[in-house]
Amino acid sequence: MTIELKGRIDSNNAARVEAEILQKLAGAEDQALTLDAAGLEYISSAGLRVILRLKKSHPELRILNVSSEVYEILDMTGFTEMMTVEKAYRVISIEGCEEIGRGANGKLYRIDQDNVVKVYKNADALEDIRHEREMAKMALILGIPTAISYDVVKVGESYGSVFELLNARSFAKILAREPEKLDWCVQEFVNMLKKIHGTRVPAGKLPDMRETAIGWARFMQDYLPEEAGKKLLSLMEAVPHDDHMIHGDYHTKNLELQNDEVLLIDMDTLAVGHPIFELGSMYNSFKGFSELHHEVFEKFQGYSFEIGAAFWHKALAAYLGTNCEAKIREVEDKARVVGYTRLIRRSIRRYGLDDPGCRAEIELWKKELLELLARTDTLLFSLNELELEAVTENLPELQAFVEERLEAADCPMKARMQISLAVEEIFVNIAHYAYAPEKGMATVRVEISEDPVTVTITFLDHGVPFDPLAKADPDLSLDAEERKIGGLGIFLTRQIMDDVAYAYKNGQNILTLKKKLG
Amino acid sequence: MQITKKQNASSLVIGLEGRLDTTTAPELEQALKESLDGVSELTLDFENLEYISSAGLRVLLSARKQMNRQGSMKLVHVGEMIREVFEVTGFVDILTIE
Repeated sequence: MTIELKGRIDSNNAARVEAEILQKLAGAEDQALTLDAAGLEYISSAGLRVILRLKKSHPELRILNVSSEVYEILDMTGFTEMMTVEKAYRVISIEGCEEIGRGANGKLYRIDQDNVVKVYKNADALEDIRHEREMAKMALILGIPTAISYDVVKVGESYGSVFELLNARSFAKILAREPEKLDWCVQEFVNMLKKIHGTRVPAGKLPDMRETAIGWARFMQDYLPEEAGKKLLSLMEAVPHDDHMIHGDYHTKNLELQNDEVLLIDMDTLAVGHPIFELGSMYNSFKGFSELHHEVFEKFQGYSFEIGAAFWHKALAAYLGTNCEAKIREVEDKARVVGYTRLIRRSIRRYGLDDPGCRAEIELWKKELLELLARTDTLLFSLNELELEAVTENLPELQAFVEERLEAADCPMKARMQISLAVEEIFVNIAHYAYAPEKGMATVRVEISEDPVTVTITFLDHGVPFDPLAKADPDLSLDAEERKIGGLGIFLTRQIMDDVAYAYKNGQNILTLKKKLG
Repeated sequence: MQITKKQNASSLVIGLEGRLDTTTAPELEQALKESLDGVSELTLDFENLEYISSAGLRVLLSARKQMNRQGSMKLVHVGEMIREVFEVTGFVDILTIE
């Protein structure tokens, strides 16, 4: 039975209100009592005592549609912990509002100059909203720029969460209107991606993408030839656990430019895991989903499939820190294994195998997946870039990182030693001078290009502008007593490498070393 | 890096094994500081040394300066990579290499 509460309930009328309620309850068989507080403006302690007595006789008592003012009273007095109390949600309309984003769980609309609302697909979305809010809060604390909702509203039959997003435009919109900004968008998109993947998440806070992906592979066992199914499962299982963050639905509608700041939104798919799982879902967003029907992409993102494909290729190259087509293709193929697995499972679960529209897509994805499985031995890949604090204690870590890449490129022993020496000299120089007396970060990139095989090592730091090459060479003709102690490292580096160049750009010192092998 | 010392009256042989770089050079500097008193003949055995950077060169230079005042210093069993670093930096002319 539902009983409405209206106006004020205080010591003047509490007894009368209680009598009225008991009268209505008399003879009612239904023990479940709901108080609809939509019209309740105020309740004093006399009124609260009435509710307490009702709670005794009706333990399942619920109070719904509580205004913010009354909710505060119920919260302060501990009533919200004793019984179910639900707030009344502000009702808003999205009629005529611009759709500015779209994610896995809902759509984003701008409701006024400063605010947007995310309307959830799921009618019973309160739990989803709470979840996403928790995710966004955690990401923000861990250093990811994002927006956090400050209110929950009713939009028709659905729920929505309201965010402050001032003058923001999604990257999809920028690309649709100003395609000449493609390269800038790629750079910012990749910077954010690296930031996400460089963020460690405390254990147990986010779902593990590896387990999810193993689940997909298990599902696929019934739909792939036995050998291929086994291989897919073993590939997923061989990806090691990784406690770095992944977004899970990273595409150009989920990145917003607010004034000069780039914000990541749609945080409900956050997880931890190896970046290959992210690249798999990114491949789907840019290409996989719309592989057969390119217009699907344009409808979703608002710019052409061709621009999307170019964006994906450039972003992957920048993310991997390489222009080597073979390397980009190699990592893309690994991403496709993850991507197709996810797509096929999703389509089968949503539409079944018999839907003729989906069948053609599933067949295409399956054919590609089988072809990839036949020639893929691992889903792992390595990045060519390391960001670390510029302190000499980190030298062994950097040396190991560089060595590993040189070894993979079959770099001869002698050149390895020489490159190792140059890396030490430059890194120690940055550690000593770039940020002194403070500390700061340095980024080291190792690239290997063909014809002739050349190793390029780039050092980037945000320290004081300093060109180490401007220094005069040490005088080698002096004897031991006269020789100065400094200046040797840079001199050695120049002698050993084929090319050493310095530039100061965008607030960064950029030192590039090149060495031809063989 | 491993450092071994063999002392015979005023002659000292220091053997180095591994990498003489920014991280390990202070260890050699400390070992020399502790043991050069009264030494007139210093031998550095580089047989098992794989790598040297400018941090190592600096320690060798200051050891050379000190030994110029109290006796002599020489390097033995210098490998190819390290010899090349000495050549490039002109250290071949400063150090006595056997």
